Amino acid sequence: MKGRYVSKTVACACLVAILALVPAVVKSPYLLHLFILVYAYVIAASSLRTIAVSGQISLGHAGFMGIGAYTSAILAKELGWTPWVTMPMGGLTAMAVAIVVGYPFTRLRTIYFSMVSFFFGIGLIAIYTLLSGYTGGFYGLTGIPPLFLDSKVPYYFFFLALTVVSLLALHRFESCRIGMSLKAVAQSYAIASSVGINESGYRVLALAVGCFVVGLAGAAYAHYIIVLSQNTFDVLASINLMVYMVVGGIGSFAGPVVGAAVLVLIPELFRGLKEFTPYVYAGVLILVIFLIPQGLVGLYQPAKSLMRKLRFGRWCKRAP
Amino acid sequence: MLLEINGLIKYFGGLAAIAELDMYVREGEILGLIGPNGAGKTTVFNLITGFLRPTAGRIGFGGRDITGMKPHVIARLGIGRTFQLNPFFSDFTVLQNVIASFFLHPKSSLWGAYFNSSIYRRNEAQIAEQALAVLELVGLDKVKDDFAKNLPHGYLKMLGIARALAIRPKMLLLDEPIGGMNRDEIDLAMKAIDKTRRQGITIMLVEHNMQIMDIVDRVVVINFGQKICEGTVQEIRENAQVVEAYFGVEDDAER
Repeated sequence: MKGRYVSKTVACACLVAILALVPAVVKSPYLLHLFILVYAYVIAASSLRTIAVSGQISLGHAGFMGIGAYTSAILAKELGWTPWVTMPMGGLTAMAVAIVVGYPFTRLRTIYFSMVSFFFGIGLIAIYTLLSGYTGGFYGLTGIPPLFLDSKVPYYFFFLALTVVSLLALHRFESCRIGMSLKAVAQSYAIASSVGINESGYRVLALAVGCFVVGLAGAAYAHYIIVLSQNTFDVLASINLMVYMVVGGIGSFAGPVVGAAVLVLIPELFRGLKEFTPYVYAGVLILVIFLIPQGLVGLYQPAKSLMRKLRFGRWCKRAP
Repeated sequence: MLLEINGLIKYFGGLAAIAELDMYVREGEILGLIGPNGAGKTTVFNLITGFLRPTAGRIGFGGRDITGMKPHVIARLGIGRTFQLNPFFSDFTVLQNVIASFFLHPKSSLWGAYFNSSIYRRNEAQIAEQALAVLELVGLDKVKDDFAKNLPHGYLKMLGIARALAIRPKMLLLDEPIGGMNRDEIDLAMKAIDKTRRQGITIMLVEHNMQIMDIVDRVVVINFGQKICEGTVQEIRENAQVVEAYFGVEDDAER
């Protein structure tokens, strides 16, 4: 058991090391841009799963990403503060909003929570339009101070680091006692509260943590992309985040990571197909949901046993 | 008196589920709450443990007014309970079910848990040990690594008791603890309940199976949300009103 855990840690460390070497090999700004997008959405989808662990499916998660993005962008632009200060403030603002709306929202459970979070996402877009003096409204927000000038390479490392730190933080959150209490709440709020778990408190906590992380990711995204459009954070984006999570595998920590990586890349890989790209995307979704209900991470076990079999076969041939 | 209920009323819409109920539970006793189906027994449990808010009336526990408190607060004050249906965390193993219930008395804060402080690690080790001890008490230590959803019904009922014990309650409310069990399981369950009582935990239980009467000290009979009588098991058996409302029906229904 311990050995397996160590080998997983080693595998993850190797993966990070390989990813850290990517800019040395990949020189195309476009490919680096894709990597950075994947990182941002890996963080967002993983933080959505933290909320899902507590038994709540949020359909307004991109809205919280937007709160982080707009807060940081506007503070940096209007007040001239450095993005290194405004980005954490973006995360904290998203968290504060999550706590304020969390108390009424978490009174609702299951589908009702999802619906109210969906409406919240729609409401946020209306607020952005209303505050178009600051947010730019339909025309988008321009002139956001960038984090780095000229090259995409520092951005690449920044986003890689942010992803690693966020994932470690979320993983710890889920695997310590807090995570176990969240899972207990998700399975039965009645039993959880009968053993003294403050179930609504824990659900607000999960919402707050998930929204802080996604707010931070949104803020980092804002200072990378420099131009914000409110469509980036609308309900369709929220649903996309949920799709990343479900297709990757909602039952495992790696799920949203794999899901976001694959699904952000698919439209880009099949760009050549022009207007047929969405069909490829839809095809992948349908295939995954029908064939691997656990999500893409469900491929891990069969792939492992297949590898083992192949190696075993070769070994058999060599043996006399 | 450990638990005192005065003038308890609960309306569901226009229907009075509990109509002016007065009752009490003495420290250290096993009280049986019985009555026909729909008499309001489980409603009483839900009112005591805060899952429902009473329309009127007062519930006192250990000298404190607990009326209208939230369920997790009442659990913290020392009232453990089991549920009639689905009494378990289905995706947890048996051991995890009990461990998750031990978090009521953490020695470390949430920050300590998050940053893996030494207090937290020691506490986790203690909890794992204590959870095993509770499982031994109810006889589930052999299946501790099985998933709860794969357990037979009788084991699940015992798991419910184990989980309620994990919060170190002063009082335990058991909703049909031996309902639907076979003879062997009933023996085990009754032994576990008896052992629990000898640890000084007061017990109030709802049960249809009259075998439970062997370990019950005192009985309260309710019907239509009202107490129709109370007394020792012997007194209840001889009460004509109870026989009419409850035992007569039960005799016919017995297979």
